[in-house]
Amino acid sequence: MAKILDKQRYKCALAAMQTVQAIDRALPILHSGPGCAQKLSDGTGSSGYFSPNIFPCTSINEKDVVFGGVKKLNSTIENSLKVIDADLYVVLTGCIPEIVGDDSEEVVTRFEDADKPVVYAPTAGFKGNNYKGHEQVVDAIIDQYLKKSDKKEEGLVNIWADVPYQDLFWLGNLREIEKLISELGLKPNTIFGYNRGIMNIDKIPEAQFNLLVSPWVGLSNVKKLEKKFGTPFLHYKTLPIGATETSKFLREVGKFAGVSEIKVESVIKEHEDYYYYLIARYADLFLENRVINKQFSVVADAQYTLAITKFLVNDLGLLPATQFITDDTPKVYHDAIREEFENLNFGIKAEVLFETDGYKIHNNIKEHDYHGYPLVLGGYYEKELTEELKGNFLNISWPFQDRVVMDTSYAGYSGSIKLIEDIYTVAVSRFN
Amino acid sequence: MGNIRQIAIYGKGGIGKSTTTQNLTAGLVEHGKKVMVVGCDPKADSTRLLLGGLAQKTVLDTIREEGEDIALDRIMKEGYGGTRCVESGGPEPGVGCAGRGIITSINMLENLGAYTDDLDYVFYDVLGDVVCGGFAMPIREGKAKEIYIVASGEMMALYAANNISKGIQRYARTGGVRLGGIICNSRNVDRELDLLRAFSSELGTKLLYFVPRDNIVQHAEINKKTVIEYRPDSNQAQEYRNLAQAVIENEDFVIPTPMTQERLEQILMEYGMMELADDYKI
Repeated sequence: MAKILDKQRYKCALAAMQTVQAIDRALPILHSGPGCAQKLSDGTGSSGYFSPNIFPCTSINEKDVVFGGVKKLNSTIENSLKVIDADLYVVLTGCIPEIVGDDSEEVVTRFEDADKPVVYAPTAGFKGNNYKGHEQVVDAIIDQYLKKSDKKEEGLVNIWADVPYQDLFWLGNLREIEKLISELGLKPNTIFGYNRGIMNIDKIPEAQFNLLVSPWVGLSNVKKLEKKFGTPFLHYKTLPIGATETSKFLREVGKFAGVSEIKVESVIKEHEDYYYYLIARYADLFLENRVINKQFSVVADAQYTLAITKFLVNDLGLLPATQFITDDTPKVYHDAIREEFENLNFGIKAEVLFETDGYKIHNNIKEHDYHGYPLVLGGYYEKELTEELKGNFLNISWPFQDRVVMDTSYAGYSGSIKLIEDIYTVAVSRFN
Repeated sequence: MGNIRQIAIYGKGGIGKSTTTQNLTAGLVEHGKKVMVVGCDPKADSTRLLLGGLAQKTVLDTIREEGEDIALDRIMKEGYGGTRCVESGGPEPGVGCAGRGIITSINMLENLGAYTDDLDYVFYDVLGDVVCGGFAMPIREGKAKEIYIVASGEMMALYAANNISKGIQRYARTGGVRLGGIICNSRNVDRELDLLRAFSSELGTKLLYFVPRDNIVQHAEINKKTVIEYRPDSNQAQEYRNLAQAVIENEDFVIPTPMTQERLEQILMEYGMMELADDYKI
């Protein structure tokens, strides 16, 4: 039976145009109705190289539905190549052409000999949400653009982590992971954000391995890379936040890459020394503060719910109430992700619910006894709820309405300090 | 538009919907009725006999080439006995959405004022396999309120008729569409009349008319004419006149009760069709 999905935390697959936007000098070309892009593009920080809202779009109408829209797509691509100077053109299809059966792929192959690369990602909304759409865009680049290369560069690591714009911290997080990887003596390669772009995309086949930092998004991409280029991958399921997870992360990456233990441990020691210096200095705040109570809930995608739950339990000693994963994680990944929540420090297990319906999530939070002020880290939807419950709220997942994030990161050692600052700023400002 | 009887003709592909519709139309014309025939098939062959084979420019071809700002006479031609003939047409095979094309065409006919008050009948001749919602357009939104299914004693024809009834049942609740009966376009199958009667009664309707098989129909088709125009004195012409009379007089409109596949096969067994295979000897 049809039902209302309340407070959905994702968009349709076509919103993967944000993934394209995150690639320097890449341009989305939309084969969709004129309203799709307008409704999907609300991400702040997405203006820049071309435009936040104005893309080449076939703007198909009823006539194109009846007769097919391939001619319009052909001319839209042709003219985009003429008037917009980009390095990579990614054709994204919406629902209508996919239902009508437009052979968009065939149209795109007509541009194989164009001066610039044009690829095609089928991103009809009925195929899934923008997490799947993000994977489709990366798949399209792997399948249609990347060529096999005999050249392998020792120590070069492709890093795949967050979904740009869906995760407001994507840029900061990627830069932080790059920094940590560099400190191990490896050469990070990412394709998203400032000064990366096509140059780095070209290096993907040459990498020693692919590093996926995500519970499930991107797993199909690194598997595809392994199949096409024989590049092995390390799937690290948790975005490292805080010393416990980041040190574990560095050890695993170091081991996989063949970095000497001495090197790895020296990197870890330097970071941990400073990290625990800060924690020790503010120990009284953590111990004496009666506003941040023991129990918390995270409402976010699998990436953030897992990462923050681990950090708050393992590093800050808080206790998990129910945790909520809202990204419509495919069922096949549920067990592996649930297992991560059962392996927290001190023998603690967190109950996790895969739930896309905000109404049910809110009921669950309302009914739970947090033994004090609830601490809720979630989307803006949880702000009002937490206020009703007189709890503490921090906006860490989409939708973001009450904060601006430019290149802040919550990842790594330094990112986790920023997260502590944000949480305790909420706490101390409560009565001030 | 209140007095226009809008009728949709459905049935398995190749069963003779277009032939039956056009001959029936010719019969109605003889009764002095004003009729419009709207072909709802991308093949655009629903009005050939009425127009004497005149190449009819389809609604969708016209929209494609000339845009939507067109006059009604660009897409509507006058055929035998003053019938108005329209072909919806469709996109090129393999591209676009023909179902949406039907919807677009019918909307366009309405906007251009094709449904004038002097019309007595509008026929929608819909392609055989109703593959998607677009082809159900004539029976949605209260357009055609009356359906006739053309069938024969062949199993697949009855199977299709049963499926079409499921569609009618679906739209009957909201759109008010009703089944007026089954028209048998005979294939000279054994016990065809009995089988069709039993099948119709199982559907909760009646066999409206049994059109016998006659080669004169093919001759008329080759000559791009309806039988009534080609050989007005023939027996077959009289059959079509009788069919027209049956349609004019018909007052039994029902919500059909489609049967399960098992029940359909049971009826076929009862009337001997399924046994034939067993009796087959070299």
